[in-house]
Amino acid sequence: MPAGAAEPDDDEVGRRFAAGDEQALAWAYERYAARVHGMAVRAFGPGPDAEDVTQQVFVSAWTGRAGFRPEQGPLPAWLTGVCRHKIADTWARRDKQRRATEAAIADAQAGPARGSAPVDAAVADRVLLLGELDRLGQPQRGIIELAFFADLTHTQIAERTGLPLGTVKSHIRRTLERLRDRLEVDGAALHA
Amino acid sequence: MPHCTPEDLGLAALREPLDRDSAAHLAGCATCRTDVARLRRAVDVLAVPELADPGPPVAPPPGLWAGIAGATGVVTAPRPDVVAASAPPAGPVPDALPVPMTAPPDASAPDAPLAPVVPLRPRRSRLLPAAAAALVGLGIGAGGVLLTDRGDGDGGVPVAAAALDPLEGSDASGSAEVVEREDGTRVLRVELSADAPAEGYYEAWLLDESVSGLIPLGVVRAGTEDFELPEGLDLGEYPVVDVSVEPLDGDPAHSGVSVARGLLDT
Ligand SMILES: [Zn+2]
Repeated sequence: MPAGAAEPDDDEVGRRFAAGDEQALAWAYERYAARVHGMAVRAFGPGPDAEDVTQQVFVSAWTGRAGFRPEQGPLPAWLTGVCRHKIADTWARRDKQRRATEAAIADAQAGPARGSAPVDAAVADRVLLLGELDRLGQPQRGIIELAFFADLTHTQIAERTGLPLGTVKSHIRRTLERLRDRLEVDGAALHA
Repeated sequence: MPHCTPEDLGLAALREPLDRDSAAHLAGCATCRTDVARLRRAVDVLAVPELADPGPPVAPPPGLWAGIAGATGVVTAPRPDVVAASAPPAGPVPDALPVPMTAPPDASAPDAPLAPVVPLRPRRSRLLPAAAAALVGLGIGAGGVLLTDRGDGDGGVPVAAAALDPLEGSDASGSAEVVEREDGTRVLRVELSADAPAEGYYEAWLLDESVSGLIPLGVVRAGTEDFELPEGLDLGEYPVVDVSVEPLDGDPAHSGVSVARGLLDT
């Protein structure tokens, strides 16, 4: 970057990121990597797992930038969503490794109680439901994320978003029903 | 009393308190409680602290970008100082705060006093490193000369000093001192305390505080090393002593991975 050039604001970084401007990836890293890495460290502690997650978030965000719609929300919020996926994926991968290990032990022991170790249902369901959240439009997605991830009440969400209380309540209800249906059809608990 | 409204069931699934009548009904109605339990599974799966909105930021370790650059093929790079200044590093907090942390938390602030904004090029850049260009401009053909005397002092007068504080969770620290000898030449004496890097070697630099200038001084190891400074070098212009880890790849540019840094008080 030339010395003294004004740095773009966050919205401009988001638009240029979506447009595939490589400099915008570097700016996004400068501005948001510490937020992302903070989440990863909170989930896994400092170390290789957290570093993998942070790396994957930026790689996936860049290669999947077509999925980022600047008009739907700011780039850091989208990166946070990508980070949730990577954390959930890491848990799922660990669970798979755990089952593989247990299966190997069971094989080695050749005991009578064969059978694959059960999937950790919550781990699998988390991956499933994060995918379902991605399918929500706005404002439904923003509303349910404030409820789930910012721990806001529906009153606080209405204040935050400026939406009427009744609208917030009905979006929450419909989204929860949608997630329930997804779990009951495809959830791990019923397929374990 | 009729069953709870679907909206109330949703709020109850989120564990929000209901009004008294609805709460009383819910407590006594198995049908409504089952409905809440079915809705609540999704809440319990997703509303976990690990997935909550970002908490305290943690600066990613300096080497992390390289993997992103490698996987994406992107050749622009974030400025390591800006990233480092964006949050405390992960892991144990060093006794002395890294220099960039004295900069305002808003790393984009234009006049961050102690976070030298050094747009280091990515290692694979095919462009002529600006550092080399700067050296040509200064008429310096090579880095500072590594002297053989290792800090035994030859009666020079100290004219500037800096504490080298660890960066980004590294364990490297030390001090730097500029000594002016009787003949007017100056030596930068770097005293470094650090484990040998896992790969590559340490290199000492003088950095320009604001823009793109950086002057390579040479290889530095744990202990004390002296580097003769180029004649005419204005330390006011290059006041930051930086120690980086450099891979053995023949690339003369700064790797972007600094382990310790300090500002010379002239
Ligand atoms: Zn009822």
